[in-house]
Amino acid sequence: MKKIVLLSATLLLAISMLFAGGVAESKAAPAAPAVSYEVTEPITIEWWHALEQQYWPLVDEIVGGFNSTHPLIKVEAKYIGNYTTLNETLVAAHAAGTGLPALSAANTPYVAEYGKGGLTEDLTPYIKATNYDIDDFGAGMIAATSYEGKQVTVPFLISTQVMYYNKTMAEKEGIVIPAKIDDMEAFLAKATKKAADGTTTRWATIIPGWDQWYFETFYLNSGVKIVNDDRVSTDLAGPAATALTKKFQDWVKKGYTYWASGTSASSNMRQNFIDQKAFSVIHTSSLYNTYINLVKDFEVGMAWLPAGETKKSEIGGSVLLIPAKNDQKTKNAAWEFLQYLIGKDVNMKWADGTGYIPTRNSVLNTSEGQEFLQRKPAFKAIFDNLDEINPRIQHAGWNQLATIWKSYLDQIMIEGVSVDENLQLMAEEINEVLADSE
Amino acid sequence: MTHEPLSHDQAALLNQRAIAKRKVATVLQYVFAIAVTLFMIFPLYWMFITSVKSQEEVLLALPTFWPREWHFENYRNVLSRANFSKYYYNTIIMTAGILFSQVVTGVLAAYGFSKVRFKGQKILFLIVLGALMIPLQVTFIPLYIMFANWKLTDTFLGLILPEMVSPYYIFMMRQAFLTVDDSYIEAAKLDGMGRLGIITRVLVPMCKSTLITITLVTFTNGWNSYFWPKIIAKNETRRVLTVGLVHLRNTFAGLDTMNNHEIMAGAVLAVLPVIILFFVFQKYMLTGYEKTAMK
Amino acid sequence: MKQQKSLHRRIQEGKDFGTVLPALLFLGIFVYYPVVQVVRISFTNWNLINDNYSYVGMKNWIWLFQGSGTKYLINSLKVTALYTIGELAITIIGGMLFAIIFNRITKSFSVMRALVFLPKYVAMSSAAVVFIWILNTQNGILNYFLEQLGQSRVNWLGDRNRALGSILMLTGWRTVGYGMMIYIASMRGISSSYYEAASIDGASKFVQFTRITLPLLSPTTLFLFVTTFISAMKVFQSVDVLTGGGPYRSTEVIVFMIYKYAMEDFRMDRAATIAVFFFVILLAITAATMKISSKRVNYDA
Repeated sequence: MKKIVLLSATLLLAISMLFAGGVAESKAAPAAPAVSYEVTEPITIEWWHALEQQYWPLVDEIVGGFNSTHPLIKVEAKYIGNYTTLNETLVAAHAAGTGLPALSAANTPYVAEYGKGGLTEDLTPYIKATNYDIDDFGAGMIAATSYEGKQVTVPFLISTQVMYYNKTMAEKEGIVIPAKIDDMEAFLAKATKKAADGTTTRWATIIPGWDQWYFETFYLNSGVKIVNDDRVSTDLAGPAATALTKKFQDWVKKGYTYWASGTSASSNMRQNFIDQKAFSVIHTSSLYNTYINLVKDFEVGMAWLPAGETKKSEIGGSVLLIPAKNDQKTKNAAWEFLQYLIGKDVNMKWADGTGYIPTRNSVLNTSEGQEFLQRKPAFKAIFDNLDEINPRIQHAGWNQLATIWKSYLDQIMIEGVSVDENLQLMAEEINEVLADSE
Repeated sequence: MTHEPLSHDQAALLNQRAIAKRKVATVLQYVFAIAVTLFMIFPLYWMFITSVKSQEEVLLALPTFWPREWHFENYRNVLSRANFSKYYYNTIIMTAGILFSQVVTGVLAAYGFSKVRFKGQKILFLIVLGALMIPLQVTFIPLYIMFANWKLTDTFLGLILPEMVSPYYIFMMRQAFLTVDDSYIEAAKLDGMGRLGIITRVLVPMCKSTLITITLVTFTNGWNSYFWPKIIAKNETRRVLTVGLVHLRNTFAGLDTMNNHEIMAGAVLAVLPVIILFFVFQKYMLTGYEKTAMK
Repeated sequence: MKQQKSLHRRIQEGKDFGTVLPALLFLGIFVYYPVVQVVRISFTNWNLINDNYSYVGMKNWIWLFQGSGTKYLINSLKVTALYTIGELAITIIGGMLFAIIFNRITKSFSVMRALVFLPKYVAMSSAAVVFIWILNTQNGILNYFLEQLGQSRVNWLGDRNRALGSILMLTGWRTVGYGMMIYIASMRGISSSYYEAASIDGASKFVQFTRITLPLLSPTTLFLFVTTFISAMKVFQSVDVLTGGGPYRSTEVIVFMIYKYAMEDFRMDRAATIAVFFFVILLAITAATMKISSKRVNYDA
């Protein structure tokens, strides 16, 4: 008996020694000073993305275009799920060190987190070695896709927040979308329709609560920093933010708008707009083509969001990254494919086939850009404001902040609880998270 | 309390009333039972009905209770587009692996804890039982990290290993083996049978019904498992049916309610094998749960 | 004089021990060893996205019991407790009711019982997918029936006051048949002589039930109570699929909270801390129920 106990204890001890230090997967520093970025042998690679069903024919066409012109590399595109699922799967694969794709898309807010955690390969040497014209992307996009000066991702499918509105209805009823947040009250009152018993039959607009990217800009343009300069605290409970939050709550209470949250919130919002139960919705420019295709009864317009002291918007959509834990062969093939995906012509294909914005300066500022506008006149609202599209706030704890912010705002807007008290509680939690992850 | 003796007629009348009362009670019981049964079976009926409707019919404001046309291609779509055939394959292999290892280790250990003696047997048996109190919901964190380190994520081994041994199985088989009279064992030994022979040719055949019952429970639990497979097999390559069905539902969320006809088809595919097994092996499955209650 | 075992005897014992060795080995590596590990991890600051971590003493424990994690812990304990009570009520009371209704020895009743029991064989996660559709606010069939009956539509999964109830609906659907079968099996075991004697004494059916059936079923009730309690505390699948812990964490049971911290936030350290605490609770409950079961039971003398 004693022997058995002794044996098992030793076994346990031995095994725990194996894991005592934790997963110390030290990255093997590239020994050879001159790393080749060329693809020399045939290789098959995987590309993970979050493009929904309606984009799959386009994906197949673009990937097919690459495969047929690059004999050594075969790319398999895989739809993993939405951005959240993609993030979870990517991080899990990174932690395990296996099952990583050669190339992956990711939602823009993850850039800082991934950069800090070492998930992405630093692309700066690749850019240098192949003389890639990264500056064609413009300073804003470069900043948005870097972390601490390193180009850890590249811009892929870029979008920004816009307000889709019912142009037909606007012209018929003389509704004008205000340029300033201060003028919104009047606009909302005019554009809302109510039944005799006071319930809203047509909302002036709908505010997405499931992703803070949509209402973030209202705060930023009202002078709220969200993450203070000290990087470990938030001003989301400060006077400017509190005032704005109270305004939102007031509008919801008055029935001018509702706070879209929960499962199916996005598709319900879309449906309400299509059914003309909402005059406008705040959504992403990337869904432009989808709206155009789904709306049969009226003309869809796109407007810049009402502004405050500033009229900034934030970059959204996705970036491309190469996971760091792959071997060099895979990374080289991924780099080849990456260049193709963000190349000028392919980028135009994406922009035409979806609602994503052309990303290249060499397109936006030239006649090609004008031609694009002729095909999609509604995009004028965006083109007029290109300089206002800013990189997102970079902080390793950003996603945790967003989760907390959303869940508190959900309660404030939908349940109508006290704004001051809850924003205080929220700020405490966020401060703790920010300090923890810096 | 004393009763006056009843006359024949009075007794007959009382008897008739009693019979009538019983008839009413019986009818009531049937009505209740049938109503409740229909109510309970409704979700499965609704699942199946939705799975053969067309997309438009599913979304009608006034739902239909019998499909207008039968759309079995929903199943074909789910199998090919949503990769359900791969999920089926993964689930079968995983369940088979768990089944095989639980039976083998279980039967062996049951023998070791019932028909023989060795030092420390009692304590070791308690250790086996003690494992029953340590749920996967607590140990999954280090288990996941262990498997990630051993590069076993998204593999069959990863799916099977944590469930290879079941203390419940060992316990139940041991109970069954204990009821086998030792004289059979002695006789077998005299015939020159070794351990394996005794186990496979004496004990197991004599405890067949228990074995089948518990094995069916193991199969069901394996087929229906969700928690661990979701954690260890995130990638599509080794995803199992249960996780795949939920994943299907979530990834159609962008178009949400519009795809329920296919999601239900997926659900039918996922739950059908166990339901079939249930009806075939009903006798064993029902007694299995009763046996545990009777302890 | 101590008897020495012969070599042959020792080898035989060794081989006998060998039959239980595989099981023990696996349990040791995959069940017991992880317990040690999860305790260890609770003292680190491990975020899965980083490759390294360090030890931080009681930081996570303070976070859980005195920091921002406390209110979430209390919330999830409350939710789990409410859910457990719900599942217990449905399984025991519902199971008992169903046992009374379906307690008839005919072929048709046999079939009906099988159908009522069937849901237990449907995977909880898969049943949840079906229920999401049934409980859909706009197009779900349940709301359709409600409207037909003159009631208004209910937001089953999005209303914080209804979400837990909706989850219990799913649980109840699967578990009431199980309670029924257990009770019927036990009822069959009660000798009919008790009932005959009681009838002769003029006891009504109701009195017979409360004075004979119920007490004699108490070991069964206890069995159901204990097993359902422990399994209810471990609920995960229904929450994960139906509500994801929402709305506003109103259905965030403790296992879901652990899972979320571990696999969605990748905070292994916090998840491990909560897991250890949960484990202690489970052990305490198991110990308590074992004490109770040795006291409060009526056996057939």
